[in-house]
Formats: sequence, structure tokens, C-alpha cells
Amino acid sequence: MLNNIIFDRACIQFNESFSLREIDWVIEPGQVWAIMGASGSGKSALAAALAGAGRVTAGTLRGLVADTGVVSLESQAALIERERLRDDSDITDRINEGTPAREILDEVCANAKLQSRLTRLFGIDSLLDRGFGKLSTGETRKLLFIRALASKPDMLVIDGPFEGLDARTVPVISELLRNLANDLPMVLVINRLDELPEFVSHIALLEKGRIKTTVNSSDTTAMAALSQLFHLQTADIQIPAAIPGESAPPLDCNKPLVNIRNASVRYTDNLVFENLNWRIEPGQHWQLTGPNGSGKTSLLNLVTGDHPQCYVNDIFVCGHQRGSGESIWDIKQHIGYVSSALHWDYRVSISCKNVIISGFYDSIGLYAKATDLQQEIAVQWLEILGLQARAGQPFNQLSHGDQHLLLIARAMVKHPHLLILDEPCFGLDDLSRQLVLALIEKICGGSETTVIYVNHHAQDQINGINNYLTLDGAT
Amino acid sequence: MANYFNTLPLREQLAQLGKCEFMDPAEFTDGATYLAGKKLVIIGCGSQGLNQGLNLRDSGLDVSYALREAAIRDQRQSWKNATENGFTVGTPEELIPQADLVLNLTPDKQHSAVVTETVPLMKKNSCLAYSHGFNIVEEGMQVRDDITVIMVAPKCPGTEVREEYKRGFGVPTLIAVHEDNDPRGEGLAIAKAYAAGTGGHKAGVLMSSFIAEVKSDLMGEQTILCGMLQTGSLLCFDKMIEMNVEPGYAAKLVQIGWETITEALKHGGITNMMDRLSNPAKLKAFDLAEELKTIMRPLYNKHMDDIMAGDFSEGMMEDWANDDAKLLAWRKETGETAFETTPASDQEIPEQEYFDHGILMVAMVKAGVELAFETMTAAGIKEESAYYESLHETPLIANTIARKKLFEMNSTISDTAEYGCYLYNHACLPLLSDFMSRINTDVIGRGLDLDDDGVDNQLLIEANRAIRSHPVEAIGQTLRGYMSAMKKIT
Repeated sequence: MLNNIIFDRACIQFNESFSLREIDWVIEPGQVWAIMGASGSGKSALAAALAGAGRVTAGTLRGLVADTGVVSLESQAALIERERLRDDSDITDRINEGTPAREILDEVCANAKLQSRLTRLFGIDSLLDRGFGKLSTGETRKLLFIRALASKPDMLVIDGPFEGLDARTVPVISELLRNLANDLPMVLVINRLDELPEFVSHIALLEKGRIKTTVNSSDTTAMAALSQLFHLQTADIQIPAAIPGESAPPLDCNKPLVNIRNASVRYTDNLVFENLNWRIEPGQHWQLTGPNGSGKTSLLNLVTGDHPQCYVNDIFVCGHQRGSGESIWDIKQHIGYVSSALHWDYRVSISCKNVIISGFYDSIGLYAKATDLQQEIAVQWLEILGLQARAGQPFNQLSHGDQHLLLIARAMVKHPHLLILDEPCFGLDDLSRQLVLALIEKICGGSETTVIYVNHHAQDQINGINNYLTLDGAT
Repeated sequence: MANYFNTLPLREQLAQLGKCEFMDPAEFTDGATYLAGKKLVIIGCGSQGLNQGLNLRDSGLDVSYALREAAIRDQRQSWKNATENGFTVGTPEELIPQADLVLNLTPDKQHSAVVTETVPLMKKNSCLAYSHGFNIVEEGMQVRDDITVIMVAPKCPGTEVREEYKRGFGVPTLIAVHEDNDPRGEGLAIAKAYAAGTGGHKAGVLMSSFIAEVKSDLMGEQTILCGMLQTGSLLCFDKMIEMNVEPGYAAKLVQIGWETITEALKHGGITNMMDRLSNPAKLKAFDLAEELKTIMRPLYNKHMDDIMAGDFSEGMMEDWANDDAKLLAWRKETGETAFETTPASDQEIPEQEYFDHGILMVAMVKAGVELAFETMTAAGIKEESAYYESLHETPLIANTIARKKLFEMNSTISDTAEYGCYLYNHACLPLLSDFMSRINTDVIGRGLDLDDDGVDNQLLIEANRAIRSHPVEAIGQTLRGYMSAMKKIT
């Protein structure tokens, strides 16, 4: 990048309900910017604008770099969507496992040497022949990183550089970006202050679609003020009540909630894990950790019944030995679940309020008429999330972070016997994260719900969780 | 084996053809319990086979897959699909004798061979399920007296059957009992439980007959669904090339156009598809469709008559016996057409432009859907069946063209559909040649170029009334209402 990128009172429209307003911003060569702000403030939109997204409706935007490498939830979602469209199982009647990782990388590769170095560095060189559909969320994220870097971009835009990556990979990426920052212009979207890399030179703070302020990271006074802004006290929240008589039938408290014995998940060409034992007693909260691809999601899906191999393993969950004639809905009525996979799957046309109500029915979309009480409780949840004004808005028009908050409420709304939170803070800013952690802590303190919590962040400790299971990654 | 339909007296033929009713959701309160504890064995592990099996198992049923010994030994894709998903796999000899319900989910053409091999292995008083009735109705397959024969046909591709189930919903499903094979009177109970096990009861179940399903399915697929879209693709593309429209643009307008246009059809019927056009364009499309209907009506009648008389299947089975000579020659021919060999450009075409520049395509869809519907109902098929086999399925076929154009559509739809599609195409191309000679790029390729979008009020009122009051619109509104009554709570 030789020129400045200049936003001059630029208004940029993204969809009917969201636009960036009167952005004044200059990015000079040699600067590394971080965009920060609450979820829904427009961070991702501003990053996307640097890659040409949105429509400039007023003001000007000049100097965009043609070859901009992008890593974001949107680009990850776009790749997932493209693979979904490419899936020709119904046409060929052959089940499609997705484009091999290698081909996805080769599509845009301009530097094969760099590409192969990065695949080794990220530890995914052994996965290159695997179909996209068989990769974990973290692994697809790594794939996107390599794609963007190896395409030899003239600029790099990374929305959430550390989201969804395991503890092993975070320092690798961090180091890599530090080295690149010397001669590659870079804009990062950072959700949490403790993830702000020290090589960032400037910060743009967004609020409601406008740049509230910009801060030079060497200005210590301004940085202190910023830090205070990000650590507001979480209000004393009250979790909306369950609906009496509507929750799942009671479980025998003398039996374990989950008992998995000697379990394995394997594909013809790949063993995910084997000889795994896990017994969860009612009220015993667990934290599950492990590197990307170690099988955390597969394990949780054995519990929820979303993994088809739950039928060939010895699994007892919520009162049922799996494969004994129970239906998947008999299991799901006891479980609240949130994960990025659920988020990708939640592709239906629905209002925000009804997303929360769908938690009463364990459905994606709402196919039954909600009761008055359910509506009332959904409104209480919207208030806790600060989203009451968006109750009637289409879910897909919200920012990724706000969508995720709604899905967390959806998981909690029925006060399930088992609450599974697979990286619940994925893509959330500091304030939302504190809110979610406070909610989880409240739930762990109660007696009706047992929590399984998955995360990569050592900082996101939760009081009340005392049991730990770590998968080491057999592959 | 003799054509089963032709052995029936007229009274019975009419009664069977006229069978199709929407079932009350209250009939499904027991879900899949009728099949609880029973052994279900699926033959065929492709997209329908695998995805239906996943749903049935998640509904608490005992499902396994019978595969050929070679498929198991060589660990072929079907073996991989079944085992990676945690299903028990065995040879027919191992599994079929224990089965209470055998689900034949193989392609039509294999039915005769598969059923002939399978039935002798089946235990006494068990049940055989089809998802398409061609083998029973047209080939006249006779199944052992003690075996119950039913049909359960989800009206969507396999992946959608699975996706909707996982969401907590389902896809519309047609069920039927073969009355000659219902020795214990339990056929309906089994079919209902099977439909509920796949989630179909949540989106609506139609109770039909083998005969109504086969005759309407054949008619729909060879006329509007595959035939009209193929003929329309070739004619529209060639016309644009003749008029110097850029070839890459022309190829894309046609390839993606069908899908875009029929997406509007899927959501709001012909009314909504026509409403996507400006008023002058709508009147133009309306007139073109009327003209097309007049020209093509005899062809639709001929197809319906040949299907009813059994002449169509007889001709096709002769070709099967002749190593598909005609089919393969026609398939090759399609692969070599200009439309097929011209790559679609990368240029973005805005969604609305597919309507504005594809007025003739809209007219073709309208004419084809209405004609197929009218011809079927005139032949004694109920409106519900006629709707599903015309309007409802058009977007599904359009989707295959959007992905892989005609050659691929044809080699991957059922052989029966493909064979019928070519018959239609060969008759329809010459039939429309005079009509096409009068067509210009204002209705295909470039759009109307008007200074003024004004229209005559009276003309517009009449056209709208005619569009909205067509019987396919009334039944469509009702059926779409059932399907999405719950879905629409947004």
C-alpha cells in the first residue's frame, strides 16, 4: 500500500437495517489498526468496507487496495455456504464430503512455498486431503488464514484474528502477524482488550455505526480510558424463570446425567478419538478443552445425538441408553445447546424474539404457536441482552455477535437439565462476554442445570466449574 | 408382467386416479410408534436412502442397510456412507430375512431386479415399501400375497429431507397402500408411521394411490418439469444468439434464470411469479403464455394419453431392453447443443433482471404449469396430485439446471423422466418453430424498452383475474398454507 485509504464523511449501507454513518478515517502506510466496539456497533461492517463491501451512499471512500486478503466470520460463512451449494448429493445420489482442503487453498494461492510453510506451522498439513465437510470449525478458520496469506495480498483485514483458535495456535498467529505487520498494511477487528496485540499502532472505537474516537496506542492516558470503557460492571441480572409444567420430565437424580464408556469416533481414513470415558453426575459442572480438531465438537455431538456414531457407542444420556428406541427429541428436550455449528445451521427466516422461543421446542425456526407466557419470557431475555428494540427484526440482519447472544438465550430459556456451551463467547466483545459469563455463573450456582462449557481462553474461568476434561488430539 | 393399470376396470381406474387427500395432522399423534421395535432394512444408500435412514433412526427406529456383497467387500461409497454413520450393514441374505419392513430406495430402473431378488428372502407377513410406484403400476410387478406393499414418497431431495428433520420440521410427503397387497389391513398404519419417522407429518402428508402417483409423476416430469425447461432452454438460448446477445450472458440468463423465476413460483405461485414483472411485461408474458398454451395443448394431451394407455412405458421398456440405445443417443445429442457447450459468464446479473430480460421464460413456465395441471385434472387426477407434480416440483428441477445445465440434469434425474423429457423435446421444438420466428429480444435477452410503463386498466384487471383464478392457484394457496402454516410464524 503506497497511498492513504481515506474515508471522508462516508455513509455506507449494508442492508436495510444497518449502515455506517459519516465515517472520517485515514489509514496511512505503516499503520496497524484495530477496530473495537460493542457487538452490533459496526466493527465487522467497517472491516468489510475495506474489502469493498457495502454501498457508499454519501461522502467518499478512496484508496481501497485491490488485493485485500480477508479473514472473517463472513468469509468463513461464505465458504460454508459455497460448499453447501456445491453439495451435489441429491443430483449424483452420491454423498459429497466437500472440496478437499488442498483445493480450497490452491484456488487463490500465489505463493506455494509460503502456503506449505503455513500449513505446517498451523499443524494442518496432514488434513489437506480431507473434505471441507470433515474439518472442525477451528480447522476451517486456519484454512482461511492460510488462503488469505498465501494469496499475496497487498493488505490484510482480519476480523477476530484469534477467534475459534486453540491455545497452541494463538501465539503462532500472533507472532506471524507481528512479523507481517512490518511491511503489510493490516486492519484487525479485536473483540477483547486483552487480545489487543502490542504491535497495533492505532485503535478506532465504534459506537452505533460511527467512529466514536480514534486512539494512538502510545498515548497511555487514552489507552487507560479505553480500558475502563471495556470493563463496565455487569449489572445484577436476573435470569427469567422457567415455565412451570412445561419443562422436560424429571430425571432420576441417582443416575448419571451422562455416562459415556469406551467411546470412539472414527471415519474410514481417520480416527478422531477412542477409549474415551466420561461420566457426568447431576449438578457436576464441567469444562472441556483441547486443541482444534481434537474432537471436542464430536464428543459433544455424541451427547446431544447430533453425531450419527452415537448409535454405535455405549452412551447413556438424560435417562436414555442411546439406541434403545428413544427418539432424538426425547434427548433434546433435556438439553440446551449453543455452538458455532448451530449458528451456521440457523439459516431460517425468523424474528429475533422467535429465535429465543424456538428454544422451548428445540427447533431451528419456529413451527408451533408460542404461548403468551413463552412470549413474555422471550421479551425478558431480550431485555437482558439489550436487544428489546429488535424483537421483530429478522435474525439474519443482526451482527454475528448479537445473533450469538440470541442463541445463548435460546439455549437457556427452558432451564434445561444439561446446558452445553461450545465456545459461547465466540466473536463476542468484552461487554457481551462479561454478560454471558455472568449468566453462566448464575446458572452454575442454581441446582436445576448442569453445565458443560468449552472454551480456549484461560481467562474465561467460571466460578462453580470444578471438573475438567482435556482432549489431546489423537490425530 | 402386464401393465397393472390396464388390467383394472374403468371404475377402478377412475377411483384410483382420483385418490389424493390432505391428511389431518391429528392422524399422526402416535408418530412412529407403530414401527417401534420392528426391524427396518433399507436397500440403497444414496441420498434418499441415507438421509431417510438417519431420520428414521433418530425417530427411535431400528434401521440397517442391505448392500451387495461386492459393495461391502470393496468398501464402496455406499458402504462408507452407511458405516461412517454408524449403521449396521449386511448382505441381503443376512438382513432381509429378519426385516419387518424393507425399504426399496434404489433407482426405478433397478426395481424389477431388486424386488425379484428381495421378495423371496422376505419373511412371511412382512412389508415392502417403495418411494415410487412405476414398478407396480407400469411393470406390473406381482408381490407375494402375504406381503404388505406401501409407498412413502417425500416430495423433496434427500438432503432437504434431512435438513428439515434436524430443524424440527419435515417435507411434504405422499403415502399410498397397494390395495392388492394389504392382507392384514395394516398398510396405512405402517405408511403413516414411516412418514412420521421421516418427519413428513409435520409438513403435511397426502394420502394417494400407487396409480395416481405414477400417472401424475410421469406426466409432470416429462412435460413441464424436464421437457418444458429443456425445450425452453434451447429455444431461448438459440434465439438470443441469433439476435447477437453476448453468448456468455445468454447462457447465464437461461441457466440461472429458471431457478430465479421459479423461486418466485415456489413462494407465491404463478400469481407471484407474474407479479415480479412490470405491468407491461406482465401483459406481454400473459399473451405469450396464452399463445403457447394453444399451440402446445395437443402435445400435452398426447403425453397424458400415452401415459394412461401404457404406451409410454412400453416404448421406454423396449429401449431398456435395447441397452438404452435411444436414451443414450438423445443424451449425447443434448450434450452437444450450443446452450450446453457455451459457458455461462461470470458477470453478475441482478435478481430482478432475470425476470425483466426473461419474459418469455416466465411465459413458458406459466404455460407449462397450467397446461400440465389442466391436462392431469381432466384425466381424472386430483388437483392435489396435479399441483405437486407440476408447480411444486418445477423449482427443484430448475435448481439442477442452475447447477449443472441440461446434460447433467438428464443423466441424473430418473431414467423415466429423462426418456419422457426427450420425447417431449423432440415434438415440442418443431411445434414452436413458427412461434419462435416471431420472437424478439424484447422478451428474451434485453427486456422491454419502453418510454412509458403505462398499461390499460381494463386489460390489466382481466389478466390479473385470469392469473389469480386459475385452479392451480387456488389449490396451491391451500397446500402451501398447510405446509408453511407453522413455518410462517416469523
